[in-house]
Amino acid sequence: MELREVISTGNDLAAEAAVDAGCMFFGGYPITPSSEVMHTISDLLPEVGGTCIQMEDEIAGIAAAVGAGMAGVRTMTATSGPGVSLKAENLGLAQMAEVPLVLVNVMRGGPSTGLPTRVSQGDVRQARNPSHGDYRSITLCAGNLAECYTETVRAFNLADRFMQPVIVLLDETIGHMHGKAMIPTVEDVKKGIVPRKVFTGAPADYRPYGVGDDEAAVLNPMFQGYRYHFTGLHHDGKGFPTEEIETCRKLIQRLEDKVMMHTDEIELNEEYMCDDLEENDVLIIAYGSVSLAAKESIRHLRAAGIKAGLFRPITLWPSPAERIKHFTDKVKNVLCVELNIRQYTEEVERVASRLDIHGLYKVNGRAISPYEIVNKVKEII
Amino acid sequence: MARTLMRFTGVGGQGVLLAGEIFAAAKIKEGGHGLKTATYTSQVRGGPTVVDITLDDEEIFYPYANDGEIDFMLSVAQASYNLFKGGVSEGGTIVVEPNLVHPSDEDRKRWNIVEIPIITIAKDEVGNVITQSVIALAIANTFMKALDDELLRGVMLSKVPAKVHDVNNKAYDLGKKYALEAMAS
Repeated sequence: MELREVISTGNDLAAEAAVDAGCMFFGGYPITPSSEVMHTISDLLPEVGGTCIQMEDEIAGIAAAVGAGMAGVRTMTATSGPGVSLKAENLGLAQMAEVPLVLVNVMRGGPSTGLPTRVSQGDVRQARNPSHGDYRSITLCAGNLAECYTETVRAFNLADRFMQPVIVLLDETIGHMHGKAMIPTVEDVKKGIVPRKVFTGAPADYRPYGVGDDEAAVLNPMFQGYRYHFTGLHHDGKGFPTEEIETCRKLIQRLEDKVMMHTDEIELNEEYMCDDLEENDVLIIAYGSVSLAAKESIRHLRAAGIKAGLFRPITLWPSPAERIKHFTDKVKNVLCVELNIRQYTEEVERVASRLDIHGLYKVNGRAISPYEIVNKVKEII
Repeated sequence: MARTLMRFTGVGGQGVLLAGEIFAAAKIKEGGHGLKTATYTSQVRGGPTVVDITLDDEEIFYPYANDGEIDFMLSVAQASYNLFKGGVSEGGTIVVEPNLVHPSDEDRKRWNIVEIPIITIAKDEVGNVITQSVIALAIANTFMKALDDELLRGVMLSKVPAKVHDVNNKAYDLGKKYALEAMAS
C-alpha cells in the first residue's frame, strides 16, 4: 500500500481519519486532552457537507452522535475519561440497540477530574465495560502517530461491521505529540470502506434484529420506508420490547457471540523483536505511548546483551488471548508496563494462567522512561 | 548526526510550542525524524510549560527527553527554569532571558549559562513581542548547529502569514546575531 508522509499530532490525525473514513457527524463536548479532535473536525466536517455540533455537555454529545448513527451515517464523539463516565449510559444504549459509532478517548489521569493535562492509561478497564450488562466492547489503542489515523479508520469499519460502538484509546502523550507519520492515502481509505449492511426486501418483511445467532443487527437508514423500533429494553426482531424468555436469552447471547465468534476480524498486535525470544529471555507487554518507551528500552537492553522483545496489543478488547498465551508459555520473564495499576496485567494473568507476571506501573501523570524499563528488566532477570 | 535533544521552557501563552513544531518539521523536511512533545498544567495561561524537541536521523520512539541527556535548554520564566533545568546534561548550554530568569552561582558552575534578553529584543528591536519564539528558534539552532539555517527559516516562514514575513526574518537574524556574539564572548 502506498503511504504518504504527514507532520501532525495524534489528535489531529484522529479527526482527519474520521473524515477520510466517511464520518459525517460529530457530537461532543470539548475536554482536555482530547479537545483538538473536536476543534479539527469542526473545521473539516463542514467542508464535506457533514455536521459538527458542540452540545451542552458530554452526555448530550454522545446522545447526538447515537442519534446520527441511528439515522444511518458514520458518526463520532471524542472525550477523555471523565467524559466516558458521563457517556456510559448512552454507550450502553448503543450496545443494546446496536448503533455503530466511534468514541475516541484521549486518556488523562483519573479517577474523577484527576490530572487533566497529564498522561495516563487509567481507562483501559473502563473501556472494557463502560456500561452495565453483558456485551463485548471493541477497544483499539494507538501506539504511535500513524495509528491515531489507521486505528480510527479501522474503528469506523469495525463499528459498521459489528453494529456497535468502537472505542479508540489514545493517551495524552500520543494525542499531543507532534511529528512525522506515514499514513495510507485517502483513496486507499475510501477503497477500504465497507458500508453497513442494508435490508433490501419488502418493508413488511424487515426484522432488523431478527438475524443469525452470531450476526449483527441490520439497521437500515431512517426515512426510507423501513420502520422499526429503537429501545434499550430487551427486544424482539422488530425492535419492540419483550420479556419472552427465549428471545431475551438469545438477544444477549447474540451480543456476545457476534463479537467473540469473530475475534479474528478484530484482533491486531505488533510483535517487536519477539522472533528470537527463548525461555530465559524477556517479554515486555505494553500498549499506547508506553510501547514507545518499551521499544527504546529494548534497543538499550539488546545492546547490553539482554534479549528482550515487545508484544503490543493494538486491539485491547477483546484481548488477543491466544497470542499472549503463545508468548507467556514460551518466555519465563514477562513484564507488563502500564500507566495504571495492573489494569491489563490482570488480563495477561488470566489468559496466561500465570500469577508471576512482573509489573512496572506509574500513576502520577508522568511518562515511564526507557531507562526505568531497562532497570526493571535487570531487576527481574 | 547523533540525537539532538533541546528543551524550551516558559509559561503558557508565550508561544514556545511553535518553535518546537518548526524544529521538528524542518528536520523531517531534511529527511530525518523530529518529534515535539509539550507538557503543561491545567493552568493553561501562566502555568509552567516545557517543550522537548528530539531530532535524529534514525526513527525516534520515546518522545520525551531523558533527564540528564538534554544538550540545550532555553528558558524565559523562572518557575519553569527551576522545574526543568535538571534535565540538562552537565556542561550543557542554558540560554536564559536575564530579566526574568536568575540562575544561581551553583547553576553557573554546572552549566554553560548564557544570558540573552530575548523578550527585550523582541519588543524593542523587532517591535513585536510575539516574535520571541522565532528569536529563540534562531538562538537554539545557532548554538546547536542542528539544521541548515535557510531550511529552518523557510519552514518557519511557511507557518506564519506572508504579511509578517519581514518581521519574522528580522527576528531570526537578530536571534542568530545575539547567539553568535554570546558564543564569541
